[in-house]
Amino acid sequence: MAGAASNIVKYATGYDYLYLNGMPIRYVAFPFPVAGQPQSVHHQYIFEGTDRVSGKPMMKAILDALTQPLTEKEKYKGPAPEAKPQPRLLTPDTEENLQRLFKDKDWTDYNPIILPTEARVAKMLAATSHKPGEVVKTVNWPGGNRPLTVERVAICAVMAGAKPEYFPAILALAKSVPFGNSTSSMSNMILVNGPVRNQIGMNSGTNAMGPHNEANSVIGRVFTLMSKTVGGLHSGVTTWSSLGNTVQYNNLCIAENEESLPAGWKPFHVQMGFKPADSVVTVGVGWTNISSVGEVQRSYPANMLMRDYMRSLAMSSATIVMDPTVAALLKDVQGFKTKESLSQWFANNVEKTVASFLGNGVGSGMAMSFATQGLEPYATWVKLPPETLIKPFSGNDKGIQIVVVGGKIQTTWFVTDYRLGRGELVDEWR
Amino acid sequence: MNVKSKIWSVALLLVVAATVTVTYTPAQNKGSLITVLNPEVANRMPDRLPLSPRLGSLEGKTLFLVDIGWGGPDAAPSVYAEIKAWLAENMPSVKTEYRRIRGGYDAGDPELWKEIKAKGNAAFVGISG
Repeated sequence: MAGAASNIVKYATGYDYLYLNGMPIRYVAFPFPVAGQPQSVHHQYIFEGTDRVSGKPMMKAILDALTQPLTEKEKYKGPAPEAKPQPRLLTPDTEENLQRLFKDKDWTDYNPIILPTEARVAKMLAATSHKPGEVVKTVNWPGGNRPLTVERVAICAVMAGAKPEYFPAILALAKSVPFGNSTSSMSNMILVNGPVRNQIGMNSGTNAMGPHNEANSVIGRVFTLMSKTVGGLHSGVTTWSSLGNTVQYNNLCIAENEESLPAGWKPFHVQMGFKPADSVVTVGVGWTNISSVGEVQRSYPANMLMRDYMRSLAMSSATIVMDPTVAALLKDVQGFKTKESLSQWFANNVEKTVASFLGNGVGSGMAMSFATQGLEPYATWVKLPPETLIKPFSGNDKGIQIVVVGGKIQTTWFVTDYRLGRGELVDEWR
Repeated sequence: MNVKSKIWSVALLLVVAATVTVTYTPAQNKGSLITVLNPEVANRMPDRLPLSPRLGSLEGKTLFLVDIGWGGPDAAPSVYAEIKAWLAENMPSVKTEYRRIRGGYDAGDPELWKEIKAKGNAAFVGISG
């Protein structure tokens, strides 16, 4: 049997979830929150509290869950009920009614969509040599088994307003569906490198991170729509982020300003082993985005302030997004001849206390999972006194990425905790 | 046909045409019906396994309290300490064993599952949220 706090037990005990994982586990639910409460509150939960699932006194609920006979449903062994088949075409209706239907089904981001008629989808599909029925990825998070086919990606691309020339990049992006899902405010970053950026008119310069470019905007939006439709992420059913994250409207979709990199600073995809002429889409997952606010000051160079802000990051990976002017200052004035040398400097110089490092459930959960396996430095860190200073990025300079974006208008930057994953080649989807 | 008949015929035709126009509105005037592709996919769920048989009673049994690490190092151990205290007061024959899974909460711990199978009678896994 299992215990959960009341905030997510509906998800855990709901019909779909029970059978998404093949077994109907018996749950008890404590009041939320559990983490962060003093021992006296936990004492009340157990000795005086009530199970939020059954309404019984807590320990009676626990004992009953372990000892009461199984129901017929709980004894069942065999195939799950046949999935309700989904027709390829929806019942014909008016534009207005279909727009309403798509919103009511939570298939959109609640902005108007382009309805995916057969003609529009066919035009999108003509932009790839891959067959409509080819499975790009089988999505099994948060459970079940849903094939994301080329045609399904095309449907979402049409809905988002994509041009057919974006489609190969969108297919590469589809390999990373769905977007981040957590009770915390997880989100994603989409980084595009290589010739495709200019081929489809992406923006890597002024306002690249804002709502001012069609390709950046729409490609980021397709990721959201794929995540909600085939990804199956619906609020209150399969996604339970307490606050949510507004980044999920566009997933921070940007192109690196490769043309403005200082000499010796390689494009991100080249650092990851791709050729300069490769077109690559890389997706990162994270939570935090901290702006420099103002321009660089000679008295306190950019790397120092970035180092300070990196103390606020919860995990041991980071992506620093900086204007080309900042990159030039870091290279020419501070002497960082490569992105790698800057990453190494951060790994050696970012410090925070053990208490701060373990001060949130996600970070401490990660640290403890490594520590219990004896992995260093985590195994040592978790035993140190809380006020001990540690270097959370030590040994993980490769987990600190530098991406150059911006229009040379101001010496500004962002420190983020996005952990960029494995890039996907766009050319494989042409 | 004389002129008067022709005029009546044309008038009748005009009346009929007007009536048809009023009673039949072409689709494009009310909103054409559009056919679109369905963005949703059928979700095939895994084959179902039954729960293990229940114990009938926990008296004299060994209960493993498994900490999955969600919520940090202070969440589950604190709750489990209270469960242990309650059992010590009310069902002292029940033996408890605390274990923290190795690795993340989304990964399995096959060695621990083997240990529980060999040495335990039941497991309480938590706390999430």
